[in-house]
Amino acid sequence: MPNLNINGRNMSVEAASDTPLLWVIREQLQMTGTKFGCGAGLCGACTVHLNGEAVRSCQTSVADAVGKKITTIEGLSAKGDHPLQKAWVAEQVPQCGYCQSGQIMQAAALLSKNTNPTKEEVVAHMDGNLCRCMTYSRIQKAIMRAASDMRTASATGSERRAT
Amino acid sequence: MNKHVKNLAPETSDLSRRSFLVGTAATGLVLGYAASGIDQALAAPAPANFEPSVWYSIAPDGLVTVTCGKADMGQHVASTMAQIVAEELGANWKDMRVQLASNDPKFNDPVLGAQITGGSWSTMMNFDAMSRAGAAGRIALSEAAAASMGVPASELVVRASTISHPKSKKSMSFAEVVKSGKATKTFTADDLKAIKLKTADQYTMIGVSVPQLDIPLKVNGTAKYGIDVMLPGMVYGALVTPPVRYGATVKSVDDSAAKKVPGFIKAVTLDDKTTTTTGWVVAVANTYANAKKAAAALKIAYDGGPNAKLSSESLLTEAKRLQGLSDSGQFFVKDGDPNAAFGSAAKVLEAEYTTNINIHAPMEPMNATAEFKGDILHIYSGNQFATRSGAIAAGAAGIDPKFVVMHQMWLGGGFGRRLDADMMVPAVQAAKATGKPVKVIYTRENDMTMDFSRPLTYQKVKAGMDGDGKIVALSHDVVSAWPTARWGIPDFLTPSVDKKGPLDSFTVNGADFFYTVPNHYVRAIKNEMAHNATPSGQLRSVAPGWTFWAVESMIDEIAHATGKDPAQLRISLLDGKGKNDGGAQRLRNTLLAAMGLAGYGTKQLPKGEGMGVACVSSQERATASWTACVAHVAVAPSGEVTVKKLTVATDVGTQVNPDGIRAQVEGAALWGMSLALFEKATLKDGGIEQTNFDSYTPLRMSQLPEVAVNVIANGEKATGVGEPAVTVVAPAIGNAVFNAVGARVRGLPITAEAVKAAMKA
Repeated sequence: MPNLNINGRNMSVEAASDTPLLWVIREQLQMTGTKFGCGAGLCGACTVHLNGEAVRSCQTSVADAVGKKITTIEGLSAKGDHPLQKAWVAEQVPQCGYCQSGQIMQAAALLSKNTNPTKEEVVAHMDGNLCRCMTYSRIQKAIMRAASDMRTASATGSERRAT
Repeated sequence: MNKHVKNLAPETSDLSRRSFLVGTAATGLVLGYAASGIDQALAAPAPANFEPSVWYSIAPDGLVTVTCGKADMGQHVASTMAQIVAEELGANWKDMRVQLASNDPKFNDPVLGAQITGGSWSTMMNFDAMSRAGAAGRIALSEAAAASMGVPASELVVRASTISHPKSKKSMSFAEVVKSGKATKTFTADDLKAIKLKTADQYTMIGVSVPQLDIPLKVNGTAKYGIDVMLPGMVYGALVTPPVRYGATVKSVDDSAAKKVPGFIKAVTLDDKTTTTTGWVVAVANTYANAKKAAAALKIAYDGGPNAKLSSESLLTEAKRLQGLSDSGQFFVKDGDPNAAFGSAAKVLEAEYTTNINIHAPMEPMNATAEFKGDILHIYSGNQFATRSGAIAAGAAGIDPKFVVMHQMWLGGGFGRRLDADMMVPAVQAAKATGKPVKVIYTRENDMTMDFSRPLTYQKVKAGMDGDGKIVALSHDVVSAWPTARWGIPDFLTPSVDKKGPLDSFTVNGADFFYTVPNHYVRAIKNEMAHNATPSGQLRSVAPGWTFWAVESMIDEIAHATGKDPAQLRISLLDGKGKNDGGAQRLRNTLLAAMGLAGYGTKQLPKGEGMGVACVSSQERATASWTACVAHVAVAPSGEVTVKKLTVATDVGTQVNPDGIRAQVEGAALWGMSLALFEKATLKDGGIEQTNFDSYTPLRMSQLPEVAVNVIANGEKATGVGEPAVTVVAPAIGNAVFNAVGARVRGLPITAEAVKAAMKA
């Protein structure tokens, strides 16, 4: 029985080692924020973090996830208040919303390394995530807003530390 | 097809004969129409499981919950309904909540008399009913508050969920009034009609971009879509669909290898009396991963059926043959005598326009969960047409539709795909065969190859001009599969002008444009071969997605042939004469707005760049809205088209949520661009060739142009906004390409090869 570390908790699951992580997260752990979209790594709806890297959980086996830190949309922030989630609300990004967990997780991996991305970097990083409602311009705006908020927070934080 | 639902005409709405009640039930204040369950709810002493059965309720804590009978697929329609109620009710936006309705007929659309979401109809058809429901609540609450405070109701002010009496400085919250239990009032239909609604200058909520109520759920993973349903004891079904889109039958199923898959329960070959599906098998197992493994292990032999050799080419060849026959089809429009007028015209132009098969591909693949509980079949699925889908589920189960309860979920995209009910059939029959609740999830491959697609279309347009270049005659033949005829619901069909029986106006809407052309006919021709081989559906905007492609391209071709500016030609045709009065002027103004905002004709563009215009009145003439687009493109020598900017103007009359409208119009315009340039499905050997997002390729972020959305709110009644901008973009791009490099492309999608070939021609 594989043991998974997911959103900071250790959980044992009953699944063959080649089972896509996506279905284990959704069905066994009943965390349904991570979505099935294409089953082929072409749409990004199932994006989660493995040790902080954005991966497609439909293309990741349970075996590949063992021993790594898995983060899903449910675990991105304690109260759904990650700067990206707040920016997604402020920019009123989602329409149907189905792809947005994946979009947010994909964007979070970018901002965790670079809080000052250019538009080109955002597009290059996000181009694998489809949105059939075509909310792309709002996704871009929300990422830029969250990045800016993160920079401000970090600047304020260091000032506080400095004083 | 779908013979069992043949008599399922939408129930005529009898709201006029019902009274509107406001009263206090165990759980708070409930508001809705009598004979819709509210009367029983009010009469029942403290029902343990009271389910709000009406448009909205107010709980003792003051929270207002609006029940939305419309499918919410990203247009935030539930939030929009709440906003309209809140305006007249006088509720604070932070107190508003929404929930999705079941398929109980009491939640039927007050105009359509059925539960169906499409056509950009919801806001325009529910605005009045929701406004009056809100106002009735305000009146009942005010009268109760007046009695409690001992002041005249006419002196009360209702704002932000509080009823106050400025003179005495007394006030009561909605919560306090509800708790008092005194808010009880009956409105007859005439009372409701007599309520004086607010005028636009009194609005404090309509026209404000309040935050959409569903958005917080959609950024933290808690919004529940059909695919997220979990029931105790539930098992999973994975589909095996045949290589042929429609008409195949299963000859044999060998499940010996599947039986070795852990958790495998059963393979169920569908026996679909509703004729929605053919040749489908569902593998049921304890998990979806195991169900998929089992499905892959099944060895199934098929008879490919009558369509197994057909291709897109065969469908197009057949369409051309049918168009060539003088007696095929039925007339949708017949003004004057175009054929006679062509004889005396100084100039005649003819052109053929085509569109390929297009796939909805919402991000949430089709799915449904079915559970039999006693006599009742429970279906959990995001669905746009609960009235018909419930009947299909019943048909699949062999029971009466009244025993089916449809539990509505958030839709992970609809775009018309979830008007269809194919997903009900495997879920129901697998649940029946296994005696367990079953969730069936389509793979993306199932979803794409079994889509009820936008049909392949072929159109021939002929125009005759007099010596001054004025259009005196236009004939327009539209050949396609008939998506709405497939429903088998007579009320959704339209009588033909030539009395040759009903036609599917959802194949020709838009061709009955607001241009003044004295001799004009539109003929709807059913491509029976395509209809059978590629059962078609309603894809966002439906017919106007192809009819305006033809009309708006042809207008430009006429302009160029007669030496006129294409935009000026449109303006002259939108003269508002006769039946076009009103609509034509609004469309003209919208076009002028788009031209102005885009700087049309005001600047010299670099070589290889061009602007093109189009204007549309989709969806139906009776429910038209007014949208124009100026597309600015750059065309490379290779023929590759880059869209630099789309400037869209749309006259929506009254805007409920301006930010929501902008989101819809932008999404619709990008859909239009995606269909114009990137999306193409093809039929080969009876099957759809594209199976996933590597071969069917909607627009991605890197292909995003600048989109400028401009909303005209002129105080007319609210129109729909979800679809019109889809239809205006393809012809605007096609016309821009011509203006850029002189290449006229008449088939969608516009490919680099087609542009290059047309450049040489």
